[in-house]
Amino acid sequence: MSTQSSSDAGGFSIGDLIRRPETGSLIGFIVVYVFFASLGGAVFMGAPGWSSWLNIAAEVGIIALPVGLLMISGEFDLSVGSIIPASSMTAAILSGHYELPALVGIIGGLSVGLFVGFINGLIVTRTTIPSLIATIGSMFAVMGLTLGLAVLIKGSTSVSYVPDPVTKGLLGTFINGMFNVSIFWWIGFVAVYYFLVHVAPIGNWVFAMGGDRESARNAGIPTDKLTIGLFMASGFGAAFVGIAQVMTYQAAQVAGGQSFIFNSIMCVVIGGVLLTGGAGSIIGIVLGTMTFAVVNQGIFFAALDPNIGSIIIGALLLTAVLSNDTFRALAMNYATKKK
Amino acid sequence: MSITTRVARGLLATAAFTMVAGTAMAADIFVIGGKPDDPFWSRVKKGAEDAGIVAQAQGGSVTWLGPQNYDNLGPDAAELIRQAIDQGADAIVGPDWVPEAMDPAFEAVVDAGIPLVIYNAGGLDAADKLGAMNYVGAVDAKSGYAAGEYLGKAGKKNGACVNTLPGAANIEAFCTGFSEGIAAAGGEGSTLQLPATAFGDATAVAQAVRAHLLQNPDVDALFAIGDADTNATVSGIQQAGKAGQVEVCGINFNESILANIQSGSQACAIDQQGYQQGFFAVSILNNFVNYGVTIPTREILTGPGVIDASNVEQVIEGVKAGVR
Repeated sequence: MSTQSSSDAGGFSIGDLIRRPETGSLIGFIVVYVFFASLGGAVFMGAPGWSSWLNIAAEVGIIALPVGLLMISGEFDLSVGSIIPASSMTAAILSGHYELPALVGIIGGLSVGLFVGFINGLIVTRTTIPSLIATIGSMFAVMGLTLGLAVLIKGSTSVSYVPDPVTKGLLGTFINGMFNVSIFWWIGFVAVYYFLVHVAPIGNWVFAMGGDRESARNAGIPTDKLTIGLFMASGFGAAFVGIAQVMTYQAAQVAGGQSFIFNSIMCVVIGGVLLTGGAGSIIGIVLGTMTFAVVNQGIFFAALDPNIGSIIIGALLLTAVLSNDTFRALAMNYATKKK
Repeated sequence: MSITTRVARGLLATAAFTMVAGTAMAADIFVIGGKPDDPFWSRVKKGAEDAGIVAQAQGGSVTWLGPQNYDNLGPDAAELIRQAIDQGADAIVGPDWVPEAMDPAFEAVVDAGIPLVIYNAGGLDAADKLGAMNYVGAVDAKSGYAAGEYLGKAGKKNGACVNTLPGAANIEAFCTGFSEGIAAAGGEGSTLQLPATAFGDATAVAQAVRAHLLQNPDVDALFAIGDADTNATVSGIQQAGKAGQVEVCGINFNESILANIQSGSQACAIDQQGYQQGFFAVSILNNFVNYGVTIPTREILTGPGVIDASNVEQVIEGVKAGVR
């Protein structure tokens, strides 16, 4: 985005600030944080509180980043919910049941995610099935395969695996007994995605594709390859979280992971991504994820009824969509007045 | 209507049914249960299927009906019961998870003259009220009570039940029983209610437990309602820096829970012996439909059994032998 205003010669401008797509998400985050900090007190504002919501944010955030990119490009991915247990079962069965090296299990788990993403991408680009339906289909298919294969191979629906200290240290440890190491992985993912979306040319391609797929293709953007790549990225993110959960909790379950489907979409929407594609930002998605996590954990520190948390998240979601529209309209008007 | 007249009516109905069924000699038994990928329910299912081997040898069958998820448990399960009736079940096994939603469907089973066994949840009260033949299972309140009593006797004063599935009758009973058990041993109990979205997400459960422990330093005992939740609860305790101070007991067990009991990071596990629930409920109905034989003992208890450091080795042997 160009920060050069035509009239004001440089310097700080409220108009520029409001025009930034993240502004709404930032305000939302600050309001929510202050609200829970005032109720949760010192414990919530200290290291235990920060690590508590950052641990939640990191896991959902690693998935929300690629899911957000997909939504910017105009696609949904609901299959992440069953890729998480599929990859954690794969890793636990390879490394725990067959006692192969941890690296084999990790590569196996990640490959499952990449493969499911590849299939999703193929279905969406080669057929006219909307991604919402295609990924619901792959979600159920993967869920069934995970269950069937787990029972076939292990005869049970949960597999225990105790990772070696290095693997555990890299993927499933709590730094200072509190901060899950996945927080740092999340930061790493944010850096990579920020570069791809806002620095490298590929980012503009994603936005263009979400704005108008036909025009994007006519402009020479390899839309099919890009779509398949994005689905593979979200499969990879979900598989990564699945593996991190095995290393952390030392057991893989066939169930679980379904909550990540809507949670990741909510993070993305609270973060200001336009549901119909074409608009959004990485910083916005990160802020949306943090807001979501603060509400989720703040509830327990504030000693409120947990059901109120769900109400707040629901209200936040609606407010986010409404305010994003308002900010977008504001930005449009602002730009026109300048001319 | 008194219990005796209900039982008498039930006996008349079953006698009439036996005469009709006398020529059938093949029991198509429908079992309503949890998600087949739920670790606990997969054991119940295995028990039901193992009993089904006998049913199959006699020309019958066992069909498992489970919901896709637990988001709408009561109505979904009621729908499954009606499906079983529509598919021509000769006998039905079902848990009374959410009585308000499910009882009308169970009443339809009894009205259709189909023998019914309530298992896993509801207790003998539900079986009597609905006119079912028997109840097979652990009594939830007793399971919770056993955990509360165990922790209370271990010197714990303030226990919290981690409820990840608020609204389900059996989970509420676990938590109530837990509070009563720890109160009987001189402590006090409370419930930590999680939003329904946390169910099945280990990180969400662990972080909720941790936040609760940090905000309520008096809590020195926790009770988890399932095996995955127990692992997450143990992690939450460790992240709160309270390992060794806060003891945890949980419903059900798996390999890592047995390892945790061995290493001391978990105090006890309450075993409902799910395999027995599926096995006996199906066996009772199969024998009844085929031969009219009954089990006069009402309320077949399959639990609670307490697993702690004193007997964990035996249980591990049982797991290896495929029995538990």
